Amino acid sequence: MTTYSKLVDVTVCTGCRACMVACKNWNDLPVETQAYSGGYQSHEKPTGKTWNVLQMKEHETANGGFEWLYRHSACYHCADAACEKVCPEGAITYGEFGSVDIDQEACVGCSYCVYNCPFDIVELADYVTEDGDVRQRAQKCTLCEDRLQEGLQPSCVDTCPLDAIVFGEREEMLKLAEERLEKAKQFFPNAQIYNPPGVGGTKMFYVLADKPSVYGLPENPEVPTSAVLWKDIAQPAGKALLGVTMMGVLTGYVTNKLFNKGEHHEEGGEVDESKHG
Amino acid sequence: MKHTDCALIIGGNPAANHPISMRHLQKARDERGAKLLSVDPRYTHTSSKSDLYAQLRSGTDIAFMGGLINYAIENGLYHEEYVKHYTNASFLVTDDYAFDEGIFSGYDEGDRSYDNSQWVFQTDDEGNILKDESLSDPRCVFQLLKKHFSRYDIDTVISITGTSKEDFIEVAETFCGTADPNKTGTIMYAMGTTQHTKGSQNVRSYAIIQLLLGNVGRPGGGVNAMRGECNVQGSTDFALLFHLMPGYLSAPNASENHRNLEAYKAAETPSGGYWENTPNFLVSLLKAYYGDKATSENDFGYDYFPKGRRNYSHISLFEAMFDGEIKGMFTWGQNPVVGGPNSRKEKKAMENLDWFVSIDLWETETAAFWTEQSGADPTNIDTEVFMLPACGPYEKEGTVSNSGRWMQYRYQAIEPKNDARSDAWIVHNLANRIKKLYEGENNPVAEPIQALSWDFGQGDYPEIDLIAREINGYDLKTGRTVESFAVLKDDGSTSCGNWIYSGFYPDAGPGEEKNLSKRRDDEDTGMDNYLNWSYAWPLNRRVLYNRASADPQGNPWASDKEAIWWDASQSSWVGHDVPDFGADVDPNSEGGTDAFIMRGYGKASLYSADGMTDGPFPEHYEPYESPISDNPFSKVDLNPAVKIWDGKMNDRGSVSEYPIVATNYRLTEHWQSGSMTRNQEWVSELMPYMFIEMSEELAEEKGISERDKVVVESARGSIEAYAMVTKRFKPFKVKGKKVHQIGMPWHYGYQGIATGEIANVLTPHIGDANTMIPEYKAFLCDVRRANS
Amino acid sequence: MMELSRRQFLKLSGATAATLAVVELGFDPKKAQAESNEFKIAHSEVTPTICPYCSVGCGILVHVKDGDVVYTEGDPDHPINRGTLCPKGNGIRQLYTSEKRVERPKYRAPGSTEWEEVDWDWALGRIAENVKKTRDESFVVEEDGMTVNHTEAIANLGGAALENEEVYMIQKLMRGLGLTYIEHQARI
Repeated sequence: MTTYSKLVDVTVCTGCRACMVACKNWNDLPVETQAYSGGYQSHEKPTGKTWNVLQMKEHETANGGFEWLYRHSACYHCADAACEKVCPEGAITYGEFGSVDIDQEACVGCSYCVYNCPFDIVELADYVTEDGDVRQRAQKCTLCEDRLQEGLQPSCVDTCPLDAIVFGEREEMLKLAEERLEKAKQFFPNAQIYNPPGVGGTKMFYVLADKPSVYGLPENPEVPTSAVLWKDIAQPAGKALLGVTMMGVLTGYVTNKLFNKGEHHEEGGEVDESKHG
Repeated sequence: MKHTDCALIIGGNPAANHPISMRHLQKARDERGAKLLSVDPRYTHTSSKSDLYAQLRSGTDIAFMGGLINYAIENGLYHEEYVKHYTNASFLVTDDYAFDEGIFSGYDEGDRSYDNSQWVFQTDDEGNILKDESLSDPRCVFQLLKKHFSRYDIDTVISITGTSKEDFIEVAETFCGTADPNKTGTIMYAMGTTQHTKGSQNVRSYAIIQLLLGNVGRPGGGVNAMRGECNVQGSTDFALLFHLMPGYLSAPNASENHRNLEAYKAAETPSGGYWENTPNFLVSLLKAYYGDKATSENDFGYDYFPKGRRNYSHISLFEAMFDGEIKGMFTWGQNPVVGGPNSRKEKKAMENLDWFVSIDLWETETAAFWTEQSGADPTNIDTEVFMLPACGPYEKEGTVSNSGRWMQYRYQAIEPKNDARSDAWIVHNLANRIKKLYEGENNPVAEPIQALSWDFGQGDYPEIDLIAREINGYDLKTGRTVESFAVLKDDGSTSCGNWIYSGFYPDAGPGEEKNLSKRRDDEDTGMDNYLNWSYAWPLNRRVLYNRASADPQGNPWASDKEAIWWDASQSSWVGHDVPDFGADVDPNSEGGTDAFIMRGYGKASLYSADGMTDGPFPEHYEPYESPISDNPFSKVDLNPAVKIWDGKMNDRGSVSEYPIVATNYRLTEHWQSGSMTRNQEWVSELMPYMFIEMSEELAEEKGISERDKVVVESARGSIEAYAMVTKRFKPFKVKGKKVHQIGMPWHYGYQGIATGEIANVLTPHIGDANTMIPEYKAFLCDVRRANS
Repeated sequence: MMELSRRQFLKLSGATAATLAVVELGFDPKKAQAESNEFKIAHSEVTPTICPYCSVGCGILVHVKDGDVVYTEGDPDHPINRGTLCPKGNGIRQLYTSEKRVERPKYRAPGSTEWEEVDWDWALGRIAENVKKTRDESFVVEEDGMTVNHTEAIANLGGAALENEEVYMIQKLMRGLGLTYIEHQARI
């Protein structure tokens, strides 16, 4: 089966943030103006209302050079996604174009996915049900799956003036990433591809200008062991033994015990990028 | 841009302000290995994508470019054949021209102005310019240029620009490398270049280096102004400026030279060059203005045109308003309370108006100048204020012209929101009402407005198509639109509202639609010219002076830089673009290498004998407010030809009180005075707050921490904003001493969703010697932590 | 193999397919209901325009549906931007949808502390009278034996964001009235 990926080549990104507006425009997302960051960066990280964020960092290189680094940050659409594993309702699934999808009608807003995302991406936000009720539901970048279904590119891809964000068949994207990396190395000697295997590779992956830690990224993120235990062993066993309803009752208790926020936090790296415009 | 080998980006930040242009530069980089050089007071988004960033103190462009010019000449890095054939390098200048201690000959100190009759070329008895093709005569332009810029040695240059020597040399080597005929380099600039007391000469300095390197009129070359508004090209072409009429004809003034039509024609029609047609363009324009009331008996209504008697530019306008001379004002999508220099003074000046009409989508700071929120006392302001809701760009239809002179059609996507109306509707209905008020009056005051033809249909909305036809021009006998400005006449048989646009609506009979700006064929017709997409004035030419893309014999300088070339078998210029040259003029014939067809003598000006008010060559002077008092190039600190405004609320700051250099700029997310963008949520959320960018060193000296509120004060006023402490600003070393510079966006004001204090409270009323464009980009201030 | 031609956009407009439930978020429940279960731009009317901001001149497509602007995006056929846009250009949808638009003509009387809403007829009538009064009081027909036909008491500012046809009309009227103070953003 053909698989797809979104490649983000931050080495050609100019930090214009068209991707942020395009995302809100297509997905009709509301604003959430944050406090002054001290720099040009508008949001600390992606949230349930702001599905991608352009993160910026002033970086002095080892040889005394200076770089202003940008990174389009959004859901990685992990091939082996922790959020999918921990969802007690089975509301999170893999889409045909490589996306990790959250079914808003099935989601109950339990937050397990929020706590277990190795990249701190997914969050709860208002969702209006078909009956007009407002509920808290886990939300994040959908990879514009609706557009992909219609043969269109994700809105951030379409709008990017530098073609820093591209989408296509995974093999082609991997090849393109290698080509982009070669070019990038002329300007950024430490440039590298970031496509961490610990989460099965990500369907949104990067050509970075420098080491992941420079961007505050975990060098080798993994699906938390507890998530694997829960999804692959405890949950199926539980459902078989106790039935779905009973399992739902137990979910809150068991899952809160299993997954503590913080467990997934990366080692090393500088996390607070927003400080530096 | 895609075809360039090197882009020198100075006085502009395209990655932030013209993001799509970076797309084309990236292609040049990917496909040709083009180099990007960013020269700027601070490290910008553009710098982050450049091969080299070189620091430049605000207001020292001419020093920097003078250094490049000197470097190119000293090292033989210029395109000799191009210089010889396409520029005025060989022209001999009379002995009257001199330059001494910062002053050119012909200077009147009392008037602060030059008499440029001392800068002319030597001529023979028939008026032909004398030349020395060997470029060795000490009075030839090339030798004078060489001498003038020999003073711009690297050490002197960098001692005031604050650039590091290594960076300067790398820029010089890289950019001057495009003197190779196989290569081209482009200069991209914006308001960081023009908003200075010597802004025009800044641009001249770019043009000179580009002419020396043979980079004008060629693919991937040029001096590219990245302009700020979607139709600032068109609004300039259509002369929303006091000194012009549509198509760059001079506006008549109350001098003997313009006393009547004959005098005007005599004064404004040069011999040689395309401006020889001035009488045809002017009379056709008068016919467009006054229709049947323009007859040969009344000089085609020439006297109806207002004649001015002085400079009426933006600063003059607000000074006059401040002095109570102006009683009424219209603003169409303009917001001077945020965007004007010394904006506190401009806002105060508005209190003297009897009436004011703001036509805008939003209630701007200017529309609200009288409110308590703006800091005013409404009860003491007797101005009648009208706020007329204009509709948005896709709620109406018409054309806009981009900075490449492409005239593109905008269609209407939706009905105007609420009770908004298009500007066309507003001006149309206003004109009809005013004309009605004058009906039946019989006096000389009423006569000019009664004579004005206003024939845009009988409906409530004016017919865009009728306006288009009037702009293009038509034959008054047949009613058919003209094919081009070449057929315009000075006998009153043709009418044309703007000759440079003539040809976009060609040869259409009454009722026949033929608007070429609507064309949408996106096929590349060669070298990214897209000749069938929209329309470019003049006559669909995409690159001006493209004759210079070929060598004197008519062959392209380089095989991958073709634009047009001479095809001897067809006896015609052919190629990827419409020739900006006589299509059948043989390169070996008389005038066959006069590539710069708008110049009287067909050559580009290394030396400007009559184009500038402040000297034939650029010369470095310090900004009006400068951190140094010893200009190393001469004893003259300030451009000697600028007008100095005195009077209230416009004090000049000194370095002892205000030691820090300041500049302002734009952000990607906001636009101009911010009224368009600060009223929208998505872009406001990305840049919600006013801030002051400063170096870590300055912050430390002043005890300022990241995210503190700071006060910035100039001699005009003070503002408060967040501190943005950044590594992207570094102190300059100027003449051995440390000089700090700060920067700030100028988009913010007190109206809208994203609000902040107004940067232009700080800037002075002082303008460029030629254009009166204000010096926003270099002024003095001080910074301190706000008391919290 | 997925066909990703950008040119599909124009073909797509008017398509009736409703293939995927769109996740609609909370800030406009009514709209969310109306549009759920239908591809966002499936029935939209698409109109090309040119970006109103900088002078690069990018092409933009405006999607209109049920009397509202539902999406704006780069024009994929436009040679300058080929479907891409900067954040400002991308967001021009909110030029229409913004709550901050001035809804109808307003007037503020001398000394008043507030606006009052007026109709167009009254506003234009009053402005025309003001123009005539100021013009008539300040108009100079002749000066030092030369016909000058000007008024220096009225100023006209602006126009860089307007269309050519509009600026042509504005400068024609203003010069026709004899104004000398005609300026706009190109100067500053």
